[in-house]
Amino acid sequence: MTLAELDVLREQSLAELRAAADAAALEPVRIRYLGRNGQIPALMKQLKDVPAADRPEFGRRANAWRAELEAALAGRQTVAAPREDAVPFDPTLPGRWHTLGTMHPISRVIEEVCRIFNRLGFVVADGPDIETRFNNFTALNTPAHHPSLDETDTFWLGADQLLRTQTSPVQIRVMTSQKPPVRIVTPGRCYRRDTTDATHSANFHQIEGLYVDTRPVSLADLKATLACFAREMMGPSVGVRFRPHFFPFTEPSVEVDFSCHVCGGSGCRVCKQSGWIEIAGAGMIDPRVYQLIGYNPEEVYGYAFGMGVERIAMIRYGITDIRHLYENDVRFLGQFA
Amino acid sequence: MKVPVSWLSEYVDLTGLSIKDLSDKLTFSGIEVEGVETVGFTNRENYVVGEVRACEPHPNADRLRLCRVFDGVEELQIVCGAPNVAAGQKVCLAKIGAVMPDGSNLKKAKIRGIESFGMLCAEDELGLSNKHEGLLILDSKFAAGTPLVEALPPPDTIFDLEITWNRPDCLSIIGIAREFAALLERPVKLPEVSFPENGHPIEKLAAVRVEDAALCPRYTARVLTGIQDGPAPAWMQRRLEQCGVRPISLIVDVTNYVMLECGQPLHAFDYHRVTDHTIVVRRARAGETMSTLDGVTRTLDNQMLVIADPQAAVAVAGVMGGAGSEIAVNSTDAVLLESATFHAPSVKRTSTLLNLKTESSRRFERTVDPGLSDWASRRAITLLVQHGGGTVARGAIDVDHRPAGPRQVALRFGRCCSVIGVELAEERMVRILTGLGLQLADRNAERALFAIPSWRVDLEIEADLIEEVARIHGLAAIPDRAAQSFAVSGADDAGVRAVALCRHALLGLGFTEAMNYSFLSAAEMDAFDTRAARTRLTLPNPVSTDYAVMRDSLLPQLIGALGRNFARQAEAVTLFEMGRVFWRDAAGNPAEEERLAIVLCGPAGRGALDCRRPVTNEEAALWLKGVLEALAARLHAGVVALRPATHPAMEPGWAEEILLDNEAVGVLGLAHAALRHPYRMNVPMALAELKLLPLLAGVGRVAPAKNVPPFPAVRRDLAFVAPSRVQHAEIVETIRQAGVADLIGVRLFDIFESKEIGRGKRSLAYAIEFRSPSRTLTDDEVNLSLQKIIQALKQKLLVEIREG
Repeated sequence: MTLAELDVLREQSLAELRAAADAAALEPVRIRYLGRNGQIPALMKQLKDVPAADRPEFGRRANAWRAELEAALAGRQTVAAPREDAVPFDPTLPGRWHTLGTMHPISRVIEEVCRIFNRLGFVVADGPDIETRFNNFTALNTPAHHPSLDETDTFWLGADQLLRTQTSPVQIRVMTSQKPPVRIVTPGRCYRRDTTDATHSANFHQIEGLYVDTRPVSLADLKATLACFAREMMGPSVGVRFRPHFFPFTEPSVEVDFSCHVCGGSGCRVCKQSGWIEIAGAGMIDPRVYQLIGYNPEEVYGYAFGMGVERIAMIRYGITDIRHLYENDVRFLGQFA
Repeated sequence: MKVPVSWLSEYVDLTGLSIKDLSDKLTFSGIEVEGVETVGFTNRENYVVGEVRACEPHPNADRLRLCRVFDGVEELQIVCGAPNVAAGQKVCLAKIGAVMPDGSNLKKAKIRGIESFGMLCAEDELGLSNKHEGLLILDSKFAAGTPLVEALPPPDTIFDLEITWNRPDCLSIIGIAREFAALLERPVKLPEVSFPENGHPIEKLAAVRVEDAALCPRYTARVLTGIQDGPAPAWMQRRLEQCGVRPISLIVDVTNYVMLECGQPLHAFDYHRVTDHTIVVRRARAGETMSTLDGVTRTLDNQMLVIADPQAAVAVAGVMGGAGSEIAVNSTDAVLLESATFHAPSVKRTSTLLNLKTESSRRFERTVDPGLSDWASRRAITLLVQHGGGTVARGAIDVDHRPAGPRQVALRFGRCCSVIGVELAEERMVRILTGLGLQLADRNAERALFAIPSWRVDLEIEADLIEEVARIHGLAAIPDRAAQSFAVSGADDAGVRAVALCRHALLGLGFTEAMNYSFLSAAEMDAFDTRAARTRLTLPNPVSTDYAVMRDSLLPQLIGALGRNFARQAEAVTLFEMGRVFWRDAAGNPAEEERLAIVLCGPAGRGALDCRRPVTNEEAALWLKGVLEALAARLHAGVVALRPATHPAMEPGWAEEILLDNEAVGVLGLAHAALRHPYRMNVPMALAELKLLPLLAGVGRVAPAKNVPPFPAVRRDLAFVAPSRVQHAEIVETIRQAGVADLIGVRLFDIFESKEIGRGKRSLAYAIEFRSPSRTLTDDEVNLSLQKIIQALKQKLLVEIREG
């Protein structure tokens, strides 16, 4: 076969394709040219008989013809009228793919809080659940007769070991191993001997933050940081207020209220009509803590803050009973997609 | 702590401030107002002063009286049950329609056949107190018909305050008054303390010997003889009741009243019952017993401080008096009044060990102002003499071991402003501190030096003074400026991020995150695995036996969660938990480790329309293996393999060790029927638990990218029947060892058993891929390789190749 003959065949095949009225008429055309014993495969087998000089060009044209014919055929087939008995696609059927799992609300809050403080230059630090008396109490300037050390409040595992009652010991671990500046948040599980009810759980989570530097850091910096956190976490119009309080490891100590993200401060059920929701405890690090862990209190300034993860989750998602968070009922957990 | 505003206003002028103002002032200076309660009589409608004009026995009842009461307009017939009703009294009359404290309306009633047109009220019926012993009798000066609100004391507001641990001085009315004095810049007015001392010199009447001055830095004693005990005056009783203290008798009530007023717990001993009239302050002997006021016999140890006479202990110091020297109503005419200071940690220890918390121990364990004991003693004697008479011994015994002179603390003005973040005038800082009772001792341009008043035991260093300045100035004044942020170089939280990556990978694989307590019951752990029972970490003081042991595996609780969800008809449940497990190591020390557990039941690995077919054991186990493989791939954790093992919680033959790059890291298997039984679970439950650290070790590892191969791969499918005992791994290994070139992949794509094939055999189909890095392989080459593979399989594994 010559190149000219090939071109004739090509024209002829395309004409037949155009002439075919419907899908049924297209099939013989497809078989004649593209089928296993069709013209084009036969042509390919004869390629070795074509003079060597023409062979590349012949092969190229034959391939082009096949591609052209296949494309034209595909185009015709798609516009072919649907068969009378074909079942139309039901787009209302449920999709078929496995669904994603859902993250626990406690993890969601921890990840969200850490993300926000990451943006503010805090890194996440971690420590063990089993802590020493020194890290959990002594280094945090808690006197030995403070009620939080009582067996009624703390799970002691021995004279010196306990289940941590707060994540502050992580701050002690970091400060005793590292020079300022220190800028960390410490999420983690804590334990207090509370009887379980709608708002208390002997096993709970906290996130604390710590910033210590050699340049002046003030209560105003603390307020600004927490205000920034409040806006990102709860909404752009949420504000922050401080009330003086007492914690052994900060001086001054404050309790931190966020304006109610639900009512905007006018009073509602969520904020118990006060317009404010207590979120965190905070303050400037007590110089006695610096002394205990080996920083020179005259050379450093710093603040710390801490908040309960369950409490934030309950406020954020409107969860009415802390126990729901530990029941692992998939009807409950499945909501937090 | 309860603080009646009327009482408070005796010591500081509160005029011009509403209850809301007062409440806000306290809350925003550090004393949280937890409750505001209005007490007293406020009801105006249908309550008037009534005059009892006649009072006769009820014809049908012995204990009732039939009264005629004038309400200013007419006489009403009223049946009354009070024992103290009598003609001529002015009483509190509730007329028909009056709203009672329980919210009901008073109606006309027939009592034992006689109609009653109102009610004569006792204190409880007016909401004044809990007293119901008899009618409240009014002063005869009030005319019948006068609205009752005008005849009764005005209503009072009672604050319920949360006093933080550092402020024991605020556990008193005067302490709160001092706060207001500082906040309002008004003076504190202390009550007068003066009385005639016309008895014998006290040294002749009593002696005090303090044997342990460390535990008792100060002991002040006074003696009052010839006192007439009896009920305390009504105003004092009302104040005690407002503060939640039950009135008993004048002597006891005065000691309580002064304690509430100034914060100094007092103890009045019956002078006659203190042997030799001698007080010995000493440590108890080990095993010494004494009977306390509450009637309980207590066994003491040798670190507890007692107040004793030469014969026996008469009180547990600072905690509770003894029954032996108790003052009951009208039981004595002479008292030895103790006003002492005890070492706070010692009182705390004693009251904790004896499980005895009293108003006294509550104050002592948080430190009582050692400067207060003499003043409080004199204040109590003043009140006792005023209301009970008697003769006060001349002088007082005051064993005083306080450190000399007040503490001095300096405040640097610059430091104060830079810590608070607000520029304050020096004068303002000084005035705040002097307003709180601090004495300015010295001052220069940089700092001021203050003498700390004895009651402020919490003020020790400069930071304490800075806090005082901040809270009195007001925290609202702190500006909310832009947050500063910067990165701390060298900080590393890769570990925490790896955990998050693992969590999100599991969420993507369709698993829901669960969270359980770190402790559970021993029974729940026993049901799972008793092998490590000896090394479990048990809590010495658990909340309950349900939470008595620290978990040494995440699985027992997850099995419960899976079972409960299954019992609630959840079709497929897929859960995971990341958490810590605990045990005692070989040396007996508590240890902990991070774990990951993954569990599933139901047709979790199937499509939504393929759920009816029962899930086989093999499916459940392989789904979980597949999850681990996907997870390991995402976390660059290496190759997952399983190795047969035994585990008491798993079905026999279905327990496997999880290997990660040949290192054993955990267990995978199917839960034993006994564990599924409580949930009536008759389908496979697949469990896996592994150490988290090795799983996360490869996170962040970066492998160099490979180029896409330039030549196409050729695939050949190979189906054969093999004895069921021939494992997939053997087949793959045989194919790989067949000695063919350019083999790049062996993938199982079909497996089944059937009657046609026969028992003990299964059909397997593999896709085998070949590719050369340097050229396109020809059909002949590939077919030759395939033949080699077939030969090897036939020879080594006795498979029968399926044709077609």
